Amino acid sequence: MRECLHFAPMIGARAGELTAGEAKALEAHLSGCAACRGFARNVAATDGLVGEALLARANERDFAPFVDEVMARVGARPPTPAGLRPAYAQGERGWWSWLRRHRRGAIATLAPVLAALAVIVYVRLGLERGEIAMVEISSEGEATTILETRDGPVVLLSEENGS
Amino acid sequence: MKARRGRFLAAAAILATLAGAAPAAAQTEVPVRVRVIKGSRQGPPSVDPKLGDLKRQLSAIAYVRWEQIQEKRFDLAQGKPAFVELPGGDDVAVTLQERRGETVTIEVALASRNTQSRLTVEKGQRIVHQVTAEKGGSAFFLTVTAWP
Repeated sequence: MRECLHFAPMIGARAGELTAGEAKALEAHLSGCAACRGFARNVAATDGLVGEALLARANERDFAPFVDEVMARVGARPPTPAGLRPAYAQGERGWWSWLRRHRRGAIATLAPVLAALAVIVYVRLGLERGEIAMVEISSEGEATTILETRDGPVVLLSEENGS
Repeated sequence: MKARRGRFLAAAAILATLAGAAPAAAQTEVPVRVRVIKGSRQGPPSVDPKLGDLKRQLSAIAYVRWEQIQEKRFDLAQGKPAFVELPGGDDVAVTLQERRGETVTIEVALASRNTQSRLTVEKGQRIVHQVTAEKGGSAFFLTVTAWP
């Protein structure tokens, strides 16, 4: 009986699931155990029935409208007659159609470009007003004061060092 | 005959190229007017008539008496410094760093104080740069005007 408990899980195993040693031991057990042989016959019969039943159910299912149903569930437009190509690819609405479909991507791409343009316009306008004078000072141990006037910059040295 | 005409055309093309290049080189130079001026805290307020164009900038500084010490005019080529000697013996180097249209970047370098200033100004603006520390209530300044 303990042997039967040991071999029961192996009954009904598919090809390759058991090692050669396990298969040989199972065969030896089945040849000497009528109860396990009967169990093995039942398993084989049931297994076949289940397989056939599943195949029959699968054949009943019609996968032809599968794509349409999936597209309907994700909210996309149904494929056009002209070979499943999206509208923008056919040039029906051009770049505007593309932008509408990829709104987030377009914003993410254009935002840095627009920011750069804004900076350029700001700097250019500033220069035209004549109010911007760029100053870059480098010194060692020397503090400086810069006064910006409409006529130009005034740079003053610190009086700390005196020299 | 054809060969002579070809050579003439080639020479003319070379001359035209050189003639075009010469003004281009001249354009990279910027005429500047550099003045050394002295500002003093003491004495009656006055501004040297030669410094009339600097009045607005000078009025922002706490000196009341202004006089021009020397004036020089240069054609600054990019990257080549022009030197101005100060009354104390120190030199100030003035260098054209960059020119873009009517905007120039000029570097004022004070070797004795290890100080470099790069200032970008437009045509019509002037740089006023202190170049010596104050001594006895007076200090020297350098002014730079591009396209004076």
